[in-house]
Amino acid sequence: MMNYDVIVVGSGLLGLSTAYHAQKAGARVLVIDRGAVAYEASSRATGYLSLRADDPDEAPLAGMAEKLWDTLDEELGYPTEWTQKGRLWVAFSDKQLEELHQTYKAFTRADFGFELIDAQACRELIPILSPETRAGLYTPRSGHANPQRVSQAYAWAFQDYGGTILEHTPVYSVIAEGGKAKGVKTAAGDILADRVVLCAGGYNANLLEPFGVVFPVATVRLEALVTTPLPPMYEVGFIGLNGLSIRQTKRGNLHANGGPHEWVDLDADIEPNKPNTPIVRNLVRRMIEAFPVAKGAQLLRTWAGVLDITRDQKTIIHRFDHPEGLLVAAGAGHGFGMAPAIGIAMAELALKGHTSAPIEGLSLERFAGLSPTWKAEKKWDAGSYNT
Amino acid sequence: MAARGADYEVTLIDEHPQELKNMSFDAPYFYGSGLPASLSDETAVFDNVLSSNELLLECVENEVDVKIGVVAWGAFHNAPNSQHIGTPKVGIVSREGNELLEYDALILATGSRDFVPSFKGWELPGVLGGKAGAKLLTSYQCFNGTRCLVLGTAPLAVEFARAACDRGIDIAGFVEPTSKFQAGDQELEWALNAGIPILYESVILEAGGTDKVSSATVISTDGSGKQAEVECDTICVSIAVLPNVELPAAMGCEMQFAEEHPAWVPKVDSNLQTSVQDVYWLSAFNAQDDQIPRILSAVGDAASASEAPTGTTQHGARAADYINVWVAKLLEMGGSDVVLCQCETVTRSEFLELQPPRYLKAGMRHPHVAVTGGDAGPKISQDLTKRMTRVGMGHCQGKRCRDEAAVLLSQHYGIPLKDIKPGSYRFPVRPIDMSLIAAEDDDYHTREKWPHWMHEEVVPESVAGTAKR
Repeated sequence: MMNYDVIVVGSGLLGLSTAYHAQKAGARVLVIDRGAVAYEASSRATGYLSLRADDPDEAPLAGMAEKLWDTLDEELGYPTEWTQKGRLWVAFSDKQLEELHQTYKAFTRADFGFELIDAQACRELIPILSPETRAGLYTPRSGHANPQRVSQAYAWAFQDYGGTILEHTPVYSVIAEGGKAKGVKTAAGDILADRVVLCAGGYNANLLEPFGVVFPVATVRLEALVTTPLPPMYEVGFIGLNGLSIRQTKRGNLHANGGPHEWVDLDADIEPNKPNTPIVRNLVRRMIEAFPVAKGAQLLRTWAGVLDITRDQKTIIHRFDHPEGLLVAAGAGHGFGMAPAIGIAMAELALKGHTSAPIEGLSLERFAGLSPTWKAEKKWDAGSYNT
Repeated sequence: MAARGADYEVTLIDEHPQELKNMSFDAPYFYGSGLPASLSDETAVFDNVLSSNELLLECVENEVDVKIGVVAWGAFHNAPNSQHIGTPKVGIVSREGNELLEYDALILATGSRDFVPSFKGWELPGVLGGKAGAKLLTSYQCFNGTRCLVLGTAPLAVEFARAACDRGIDIAGFVEPTSKFQAGDQELEWALNAGIPILYESVILEAGGTDKVSSATVISTDGSGKQAEVECDTICVSIAVLPNVELPAAMGCEMQFAEEHPAWVPKVDSNLQTSVQDVYWLSAFNAQDDQIPRILSAVGDAASASEAPTGTTQHGARAADYINVWVAKLLEMGGSDVVLCQCETVTRSEFLELQPPRYLKAGMRHPHVAVTGGDAGPKISQDLTKRMTRVGMGHCQGKRCRDEAAVLLSQHYGIPLKDIKPGSYRFPVRPIDMSLIAAEDDDYHTREKWPHWMHEEVVPESVAGTAKR
């Protein structure tokens, strides 16, 4: 029977980052996944670090992540394509302008240097912006990276320290005895460890249910696309038109994310189905509205992912007392950017029981008294669309 | 015609005649970069392609809704985690715009494409695939070249050579890595009678020329290192064909590996229905010789189906073995410093070592290998190798390099092809102009009620944390 110090369930970015830091600290770590590395939420990520300026609970952790991103290539030893050139929200209509002002107000809750800028200043950052551009909300802080490279960089760096990744192996349950975590039951038999860290997206809820925990995440399918490469045009992370994110990759492709949400249920044994839909045509239309020059490119590739959203759209970092040794993390739709910081927090919590990372207010305690039917009430139950 | 004869309403979609720009993506065939300028005369091209296809004209006369020069870029149906498609539909795009066509039954008869392995100079104008060559000669009736070297001696090679000879093009020779003419004795006799040299136990080392092919260096594989310079202005790579599976694979049809081709093909029942309901796979790669009646009877009355017979067609020697010999010999003779992926300029060695692309100017702390699988699942995932090296990630959507890349991985790591998961096929199955695929039906709900991307939604005051305020 296999035996480890720490088992991490889920080989997405959060799981890999946690595993990397635990292994680096000297523990023997196993990452286990029902599918391949970074194949659900992490491969669909936009690649942005959200600074979470509107939420003082999360902003400190985002600030910590930002510092880590700036030296992540050196830390891991593999390129991530991190581009620290700021972020820009753009309004193209009266309605969006009004929303932008509200967002600005909320973003001043933390000090990330957000400022409102005029259309001319927006176009200095992104020369290809539509003539409809009205104004922008900008911070020189933060940036974006290549999600696929980042996941693999963590996976390889973890393996460089001797870590083990077990793909295509479903985990059925967490084994607990006498109030202590003992390991996991898997398709490859029982695997033992005193510490079990759940980073399994929406499937965290299934694994925690036997412990009487209502884990407040719902899973959603979202779509993404890239165009053929264009000459280098801008480096800031763009957001506009109801949350459409478009970044230009180092290679020159425009990589876009956003659009309608379909809420789904996940199954234990198989990698979830993630089809694209004709809605990618609407995404394309919006890209052209934002950047008319995109008309001259070709749609090259679309794909989709499934990701977990927490009830209040904030990160969850939690260490259980019962059973002792069980921990859980959820990224709430912006886990990509937070992953470097969440990994350190989770690894420290797992190995030492405490962390210096700013995680106050992010535990499950805030959900005490959550209605068991919260998903249906919020229309986040499987099959709901655009809610 | 058979479906129309059974009184169905039928729409026939074909991507030919293709726009010149789309042909430059080397799909479905490997046209190469030397496409004749005459292809830009769209009227003449339409006339040529239509008039050379009698069956298509017959379809038009019999009220089949024939849509030519149209790409089926995607297909959509309700499936797990996607429950809002409604009636199943196919996304098509023409030179004017795009539309979604609803269907009761979808027959995928997407044919085959060229397998063209890399060699030095294969990006030069004048290098093309056998399917592309034959199509340009017989259908588009536009061909640049007067003297052509043919790589391979399989039936495709002879088919191309015969078509070329008929049109007064010289065949400079056949290049064959083994000592056997693959297409059989009868075809060998034709080649000998036509006075075409056959270079046995040889592969191409390099296509020569500055702005286009002007010669080819052929090298003996017997260990002597003997080289011959062949004068030619075109090199037609006619080694093997592989099925066009982008559409069924991307729309979620369950795929299985057919060892002999060697290719992943849709898994079908005895009526040729795929794992997606009402979607059928009609293909020369299937073993059945009565495919059309089987499909029509299933469409008509949902005839009971059984598990499919396991066999698929065999064209003489196994294509898999022939492909293996070519790739191994080209690597042995040409070395690893040969561009494997034209779109992203990645060499064989950069690919096999999983090096990051050159434009990142970045290295790797430690070498890593492509083999990731343990006891369960595939041993190598081409999604991983493409994400790291960009081989298969370029504007040809991997059509030029993905198959050779899989064979190289298989030979390099000693992993059977069936244990290598091919890179995921994605919509659109051809690169499509953004202006053509943009939705026109962007209704109020989609426009105004499209939710903000979750993590950009501003956390309301009521739930915003208070810890650090």
